[in-house]
Amino acid sequence: MKNSKFEIRNSKFPPDAGIWTITKDNLFALMDVFIKTREVIAPVQGHGGEVIFYPIESIEDVAWDWQYVNAVLPPKRFFLPQTEIMFEYSFDNGCRITPRYDDQVRMIFGIRPCDVNALVFLDRFFGGGSLSKKAPDQEPLFPDSHYIKRRANTFIIAFGCHQPGENCFCVCCEAGPFLEEDYDLQLTCINEGYVVEVGSARGLKIIYGNEHFFRLAWANEVQELARIKHDAVNKFKDTCAYMSKAIRRVTEGKVDDSLWEKLGERCFDCGGCSYVCPTCCCYNVVDVPLAQKGGIRTRIWDSCAFAGFTRIAGGEILRSDKKDRLKRRFFHKLSYQYIQKNKRHGCVGCGRCITTCLADINMPLVVDAVRKQ
Amino acid sequence: MKDVYFPDIAIIDNIRDETGDVRTFTMRFKDPAIQESLSYRSGQFFEVSIFGVGEMPISITSTPSRKGFFQLSVKNVGLVSAALHSLPPGSQVGIRGPFGNGFHYEKVFGKDLLFVGGGIGLAPLRSLINNVLDNRKNFGRIAILYGARTPGDLVFKDEFKVWQNKPDVTMLVTVDRGDESLSRACPPAAGESREWTGNVGVVTTLLPKVQIETESTIAFVCGPPVMIPFVIKDLLRLGFTDDTIITTLERHMKCGVGKCGHCCIGHKYVCVDGPVFSYREMKAMME
Repeated sequence: MKNSKFEIRNSKFPPDAGIWTITKDNLFALMDVFIKTREVIAPVQGHGGEVIFYPIESIEDVAWDWQYVNAVLPPKRFFLPQTEIMFEYSFDNGCRITPRYDDQVRMIFGIRPCDVNALVFLDRFFGGGSLSKKAPDQEPLFPDSHYIKRRANTFIIAFGCHQPGENCFCVCCEAGPFLEEDYDLQLTCINEGYVVEVGSARGLKIIYGNEHFFRLAWANEVQELARIKHDAVNKFKDTCAYMSKAIRRVTEGKVDDSLWEKLGERCFDCGGCSYVCPTCCCYNVVDVPLAQKGGIRTRIWDSCAFAGFTRIAGGEILRSDKKDRLKRRFFHKLSYQYIQKNKRHGCVGCGRCITTCLADINMPLVVDAVRKQ
Repeated sequence: MKDVYFPDIAIIDNIRDETGDVRTFTMRFKDPAIQESLSYRSGQFFEVSIFGVGEMPISITSTPSRKGFFQLSVKNVGLVSAALHSLPPGSQVGIRGPFGNGFHYEKVFGKDLLFVGGGIGLAPLRSLINNVLDNRKNFGRIAILYGARTPGDLVFKDEFKVWQNKPDVTMLVTVDRGDESLSRACPPAAGESREWTGNVGVVTTLLPKVQIETESTIAFVCGPPVMIPFVIKDLLRLGFTDDTIITTLERHMKCGVGKCGHCCIGHKYVCVDGPVFSYREMKAMME
C-alpha cells in the first residue's frame, strides 16, 4: 500500500509549477507592489551593522542576499511576539473581555531555510498538529489561534544559502542549506538574477498574477541551481555537530550529571539562548492594568534557564540548580521522546546560540561533549 | 476555532472559610448555556483569572455528579490567590478549562478505594470521594485517611460526619500537632478552647488502623510534595503496586494547554498528560 505521508514529503508542490527566474530589477519592482499591499518583513541592516528582520517601507531598506548570512535574531517574533496581547479586559458593569488578534497580512522576504524549518517545528507545536502536513495523522490538540492566524497570514519568500556562515550547521540538522518544502517561494541568486522555486499554491498564484516579471528557467539555469545546491553542502566545515549519537545518549539518560554540573557553573542564567533560538517558545502570562477599569493580558517570552521558571505556589523552585535547568533544556532539544512529539529534534543549526552565549554553552559543543563523554 | 486562552466569566455565589487561609468558592458560569454544558472529571483543574492580577491553576473540588455549580478551594499563598480571597460574593472572575486528565474513576469500578490526603490536598480528593459516594454501588469498601498540620488546618470538616456515616466507609483524621496555638494560619481566639482529642501524628500513622485488602484496592494520594514519598513508601510496603498507587503532581501551569512549558517534567506536560499519574508513570518520567 502506498504511504500517503511519504508521498507528501517527497513530492514537489505543485509538480508542474516549474522553475522560474526573475531579474534583479523585476524583483525590485515586484517588491514595490508587495510593499503597497501588505506588511513586508525583510532583513535590514541596523545602525550597528547587524542585520535584523524588520518591516520595510522601501526596497532600499533591504539587506540583500550577499550582505548577510542570517539575521542576528530569528523572525520568531512575527509569529510569537516577545510581548503579545491575548485579550483586553474591563470592569465596567461586571467583567468584560474582548479578544485581540493580529490580522495583518505579511510577507517575510529573505528568511533562511533554517528559520523556515524552525517555523515548521512551531507549526506542529502551536498548531497542535493542525498546520503541519508532516503529521496529518494526529488530531489537533489545543490549537493556538493567535499563532495560527499570524502564520496563515504570512507569505514566505525564502533565500537558499549558497555560502554558510562560520557558526552554521544546518546540514547536521536536516534544516538546510536549501528547502525541499514548506515555503511559498524559494529564491537562489544565480548570475545577475534569481532562480525561483515554487513551494505552494499561493506561491504559484503570485507567479501567475505577476507573470510579466518572471520567465521559466532555461535548462542551463536549472542545472546551475542543482550545482549551487550541491556545492553549498560541501562548503560546511568538518567540525559539524553529529546529532544522532548525542540524541541516543540523551534519550537513554546516559549522560553523566557531571557534564551539566560543569556547564552549569559557567551559565549566567541570562536566557539569551532561548531568546535567540528560533524553536524556543516557552512563555509567561502577565496581566497589565492600563487604567483603573481595565487592561490587557499578555504573554511574554520566558526561558527554562531562569530559576523562577519552575516556581510553584508557596515559593518553592523545582529546578533550583543550574545543572538541572541545562539538562532540561538539552533534553527538550535532543531527546527522542520529544522528537516523537515534534517529528524532528529541536535544533535547526542556525548557530545563534554559539554567537550569543557568554559562557560558550551551545548546541555543537554540548552535542560533542555528550558524544565523547 | 475556539481560543483556548479566552476565559469565560463566572460569578462567585458563595464563600466559605475552611481554615484561616483556605476558602471554598462556589461559582457558576455567567452564561447559563456554558454552565449547562460543563462537564469535568474529578482531578481536573480550572485556570482562574483575577483580571489585572493574573491567572492560577486550581483543582476542582466539587463533584461532577452534582450539577448547576462548581467549587474551588483556594489557599491564600500568592498574588492571585490573595486577590481571589479579597473578593466578596457576587464578584466575577475568569475561568478556563477544565484541563488535565483527571481521575479515570470508571477504570476502578468494583474496587476498594483508599484515599490518603494531606492539608489542602484533600480538595481534589473530595471531588472524587463525593463522586464515588454518589455512585456508591460501583465501588467496594472505602477508607479515607486525612492529615493536617493542626486541627485548625483541617478542611471540609463539615463533611467528615457525612462521609463517616455512609455504609462501608472508614474515615480517620489526624493532625501533626494537637496544640492549636502552633497553627500559624488560625490561632484560637483569646479564651477559646479547641482541645484536640483525636489522633496525633503524620498521616501514615493511620495506615495500620484500617483494614486494607491491597490486592483489590486502589490508593489515591494527594497532599504536599513532602508527604507523598512517605505515603508511597508505606503503601508499597503494605503490598500496593506501582499501578495501584495514583497520585497528583503540582506545577504552576500558566497556560493549561501544553504550550507555555512551565509544567514539563521530562517529556510530559503535567497540565495535559497529568496532573494525575500512577506511581509507575511518575517513576518513568526522566528528570
